[in-house]
Order: sequence, then C-alpha cells, then structure tokens
Amino acid sequence: MANSILTKISPLWKLPSSTLIQPSRSTTSKHFNPKYKKHRAQKYLKIDLPDMNEDESKLTPEKMRQKMKERGLMPPRPWMERPFYISATGGVFEGYVPPEGDGKASLVSTTRAKQTVQLLEKKSKSMMAIRKIKSYEEDFDSKEFCQEAQNIYIKAHESLANNDKYALRKYVTEKAYPEFRHNSFLKTIRWKFLDSLEPPRVVHARCTDIISKENIFAQVTVRFHTRQQLAVYDRFGRLIHGSEIVAKDVLEYIVFEKHLSNLYGTWRVHDKIIPDWAPPKDPSKLTRLKPEPEPVSVVVEEEVEQPAIADK
Amino acid sequence: MNRICPNFCKVELFFSLLKSNLHTTGPQQAWAKSDLPKTFLTFNKKIYPPQEIGEEPRPAFVCHQKTNIKYSPEKLWYVASLVRGMTVDEAVKQLSFVNKKGAVFVKEAILEAQKLAVTEHNVEFKSNLWIAESFSGKGMVIKGIRRHARGRIGEVRYQYSHYFVRLEEGKPPEDYYKRNPLTPQQQLDKWLESMRKRKITNSY
Repeated sequence: MANSILTKISPLWKLPSSTLIQPSRSTTSKHFNPKYKKHRAQKYLKIDLPDMNEDESKLTPEKMRQKMKERGLMPPRPWMERPFYISATGGVFEGYVPPEGDGKASLVSTTRAKQTVQLLEKKSKSMMAIRKIKSYEEDFDSKEFCQEAQNIYIKAHESLANNDKYALRKYVTEKAYPEFRHNSFLKTIRWKFLDSLEPPRVVHARCTDIISKENIFAQVTVRFHTRQQLAVYDRFGRLIHGSEIVAKDVLEYIVFEKHLSNLYGTWRVHDKIIPDWAPPKDPSKLTRLKPEPEPVSVVVEEEVEQPAIADK
Repeated sequence: MNRICPNFCKVELFFSLLKSNLHTTGPQQAWAKSDLPKTFLTFNKKIYPPQEIGEEPRPAFVCHQKTNIKYSPEKLWYVASLVRGMTVDEAVKQLSFVNKKGAVFVKEAILEAQKLAVTEHNVEFKSNLWIAESFSGKGMVIKGIRRHARGRIGEVRYQYSHYFVRLEEGKPPEDYYKRNPLTPQQQLDKWLESMRKRKITNSY
C-alpha cells in the first residue's frame, strides 16, 4: 500500500531536500537504488504472450513444425479429392457459328450467302439430334420448345436479379451458374424483359454420349432477338452499368442443355455463344486510376569465365 | 489471424507448479468459433437502395479492423481520437510523428483500409477519403500473477485491444470536434446580442 493516499498526503513525501540532492522519482513505490530493479522484476511470473497477428505464411517450415509440436497439433490432412459433377457437361460441343451480320445485314452479302450454304449442310446433323431428343422426350417440338426456352431464359435472369440462388439452380446448369453469378456479389441488378423483336427459334441441336453409350446429353441453341432493360448498381446504390430508362435490342444465342438419360432432367441454360463479330462491350461507368506498371527488373547476364582446367 | 492458437492463453495462469504439470492449453480446432469482433465488418456488406437519376451519389465507405493488438485499449483510444475527422493523408502524416506504440497499428490499419477502399469498394481516388470513425475496443486479456508481501499474490492483466476504422469518401467536415464553432466576429455579435437582451427586473 505504498501508493495509497496516506503516503501521498503525509509531509514526509513532500520533503524538498531529496528532490534537490538527486534526480527525483515521481513514484514512491520504487527504491531509489537501481540494484533492486532486478529484484522487483523477479516479483512477476514470466509468461509467454502470444503474438496474435503473426504472419504464418512467412514462417519457415521448420519453425511451423516446431510451433505445432509445442502445441501438440497434427499437420493438416492434404486435400486429395477432386469433385466431379456428372449431370451437366463442362462446355459446348460443336458450338453454333452465328452467321455474320445476323439481325442487321442483308441476306445478299457474299459471306452471308456462303454461310447459308454451310448452314444447310449442318442442318442434317441438327435434324438427327432432334430425332434423338424425340426418342427420349416424346412430345418435344422445336416450336413449342422455343416458348419454353424463353420462359427459362426469363426466369433465370429474374432469379439472378432477385438474388435467389435456389431458384437460379433450377434454370441454370452447374457450368453456367458461376458465370451467371460472377461479379454480381453485393450489387443490385434491375433487369426487365420487354418483348421479342423476332420469335425465338431453334438454330442448332447436338447430342453426345459421355463415358457410356446410354449417358446422353442434348444441347439446343436458341436464337433470341429481344428488347431488354438492364441497370446495375453498386453497393452504395450508384449506377455502374446500363440504365433503367434505355431499352436495348439484344441478339443472343443461348445454349440449353438437358441430361436426356436422367429421368428427372430438365432443360436449363448452359452457355451463351458470343460471335466474333459481336459489337464491343460498353465501357464501364466506373473510372479508376491506372495502376502504375510494375518496375521491370532487368536481369543482366554476367558472363562467368570458366576456370581453365589444366590438361592432365 | 493466428489460426493455431488464439485461445490458448485464455486459461488463467495459477501457480507455476500447476502450470508445469497440467496441460492447460487447448489447441484451437478448425470447428471452434472465432471470438474476433465481426459486427463492424458486416457494415461492408450492407447494400443500399439504388439512387434516383440526378441524386447526389452516396459516398462510399469502408470499415476495417485490426484485432488483438498487444496494447492497452485505453492507450490506443488517445491515438484513435487524434485521427478522427482527418483526411487519410493528414492522418498518416500526423501518426508518423506520434511517439507511441499504438500509432504504428493505427497507421497500418488506415493504410490497409485505404487499399481496400480502392480495390474493393469502388473508390476512385485514394486520397479522397477521410476518417469518419476511429475507436478502440477491448480484446482478450491474459491474466498473469505477481508476488506480493506476506505470501499474497496479485493479478497482472496483459491486455490486447482491437482497432476499428471507417473511411468515407469525400472531404472531411470543417470542424469535426466543434472546437471553434464561432468566428471571433460571431462571438462578439453573440455577446452583444445577449447584453442587449438583458432585462431590468420589474421594468417593462
């Protein structure tokens, strides 16, 4: 109780003489003689305080091993598994090549004429594929399917705009899901389907078997020419893409996929075919500073003179 | 953070005898809950409703925290209050001249938050940020012991603290702490006004 009020009030503490003779101490609980400093320190039990912000990535493997041994921890089990999903394919097989200037150019241009001839050749393959689909799905009709495809297309986009992950899974395959959700985190999407400029039509169909003969997947490409509205807002409600008052004409080739061998398989959006002649994307409304280029370290190769070896 | 052992020293240390014989530390398991503060960072995930056309764009902000710093939260508070209401550049400049251990952590946290703001929160210019919130919180406390006279023991607290900072886009307010709410002329006017408003009692 050396630091109590009593000692502070007592006149002894206020003696001026000691302060004048030697450098004064502000506290009375320490002895003036520094040799007792060590003894005072011994009053405390020494413990190891953990460094909570230690950077583990910078520890050497030996140091890490030592630390884990001290704490009796086992090294983490290596993750050697590779997940597979077998109810959807990982890509588009024999993808559709959209004719150049589709939706705009006249039918008379030379490239267009060539492509129509090629298309006719390819049509037989599509017919075969549709026949195959019909063998699994009896009431498949390419005209009716177009309407169904449009519904799926709209529902998929609406569930994305509503941020409804569970509904999105119904309309989108496992391959397309991450592509749909990419960059949509913490953003508000306002999407509206206005109307179709041209009725949707099936332009391409393919079937493939994977692993075994009976395991058949079908992919149907549908051409949509529609008018849509899209506005994307960032976390703070600031517009970063599109507009809510401007409607745009959209020409899209959407690939729908179904696992035919699966009794409960459904048609889902699988991919989008972007032609080479597609107009470039709108620049982002967000502007940011251009990051400075990383300094290029020039490695100067030093010619090392080989020590002459004496012939023996 | 330290995945190996955030909890391992939570156990109170008793006598050295006990300590040497008993295994009192529990290794942090993968499924164990982290006890780091998490509410402050959830503000980073709040989505605001879209703005109308012509509305003033909402300023972006970023919340950031630094946890379990080996420093007293009470001491850290002084540094935290110093930078409140400053621009980021000014705060970094000031902090580099503060001769306190806490100033290093605060400066680090501000610079990290600034980087986050530019990379993840759509802030265009990194200098266009000011410190809207800055405060310290109490972290974990490890209790040690010390010897007293007559065979008594005392408790020593080794304190850890958290530091929280929120950077907001835009210019800082003119007078964050309201130190000079009135200019000299305004003060004079106010005084004059109050003088003129005096009333002689029992008069009209």
